[in-house]
Amino acid sequence: MSAKNTDLLDRYLHAVKFWLPKAQQADIVAELGEDLQSLVEEREAALGHTLGEDDLVALLKKRGSPAKVASSYVPEQRLINPAMLPVYWLVLKIVLLWVYVPLFAFIFLGPVLTVAHPWEMLLRCLVEYWRAAFMTVGMVTLSFALIDRYQVKFQRADNWDPRKLPRVPGSQNAGTRWNHLAGAIFGLAAAAFWVYLMWQRKEFSFPGGSRLILGPVWAQIYWPVLGVTLTSAFFDLLSSLYPRWSQVRSRVRIGIDVCGVIIAAVLLKAGNFVGIVDGHLSAADLANSVAWFNGMIGWTAIAAIAIEIGDAIHEARFLLRGKRAKPAAIPSAM
Amino acid sequence: MHTNAASSELFDNLRLELRRGCLVVAVLAQLYTEHYGYALRKALGDQGLAIDENTLYPLLRRLESQGLLVSQWREEEKRNKRFYRLSPLGEEVLPDLLAEWREMSAALERILGDRGLAAAPESGSESKEER
Repeated sequence: MSAKNTDLLDRYLHAVKFWLPKAQQADIVAELGEDLQSLVEEREAALGHTLGEDDLVALLKKRGSPAKVASSYVPEQRLINPAMLPVYWLVLKIVLLWVYVPLFAFIFLGPVLTVAHPWEMLLRCLVEYWRAAFMTVGMVTLSFALIDRYQVKFQRADNWDPRKLPRVPGSQNAGTRWNHLAGAIFGLAAAAFWVYLMWQRKEFSFPGGSRLILGPVWAQIYWPVLGVTLTSAFFDLLSSLYPRWSQVRSRVRIGIDVCGVIIAAVLLKAGNFVGIVDGHLSAADLANSVAWFNGMIGWTAIAAIAIEIGDAIHEARFLLRGKRAKPAAIPSAM
Repeated sequence: MHTNAASSELFDNLRLELRRGCLVVAVLAQLYTEHYGYALRKALGDQGLAIDENTLYPLLRRLESQGLLVSQWREEEKRNKRFYRLSPLGEEVLPDLLAEWREMSAALERILGDRGLAAAPESGSESKEER
């Protein structure tokens, strides 16, 4: 082999070496060099003369770029286990679409509708959304990469039961789906109404000078009510999108019902919900009006507790039915 | 044009998958007798199983790391060459692998025979070989 070709071959091998894992560099390059020299010798023997520079260039180009050759020695690497990819996409979809979009809409909708330059606010909303989305994608990807790296197993592969799989949506599910969607819309509307009606509200003033004074308990339950209403709306939305998650939905529903009962109980315990200030009413009429209002609110709270308990029982029965349900007979493949 | 390129790529991928397992069997079987890399590649090629260098050498390293092959650097014709041969574990595993291969091959032949696909036309196989 000519000195020029030897130099070319050395440069090629050196370039391959650069991309190889350090521990294997010498070994792989030695074997690769031997293989290339054997190939060159065979060609030269067939041609009856030494290979020209162009011939060697063609031969090396056929072998592949140094990075490509080196990559064939490096074991395949992945950031996320392919088996986890469906879960990864699902988590991203839920967070970016079904958490962030409503959250950003909730935070920015009011300002967008009220500020002098709504486009600027909308642009800010989009910028903030993309910033949050970018960070979230990074964090979720990192989390899944760590799970894969350290072989964390949420559930052993054989630790599953076909009877616990979600039910196949039946014909009645189209209706159920719309019910959930309606529930989500109603929940969001109720939350917006609650914010509009009760945000930092101490009293309601009426024409003629009458005022309805709110008791301190309303400030205590303001955020819990808003949180429960939004959570309920959010899970209704999820249920309408993923009707197969019926068991998860039932568990969350029971949790929301329990929270509702606690909030209503706190309200009931407070007793004096409202007071009335009205210069036109006699003391007896005023007392009657206050009693009537407080009585109505009290009975509404009791009714709410009864409805929440009834709903929780209904969901618990659904869960129990799901656990007891036997799988349908599957024709044997044998 | 686009469809042809797509189908060609698809065929190449399928061919790659099909060859992957076959190459392991062929390399192990060929290494019942000792060979160095270049000679092994030539021997396989002479018997109709051409294998790319960038496939063969990483495969040899993988099989060695799995304990199926052993290798040794030795001087021959004034050059250091790495010689491979089956390890005792490889000798133990290969007959089982071949039995499995024959079973699969026979099953595939039966399936193809049932559908009248057993004998592929010569010209067709040649054209695929060229790819």
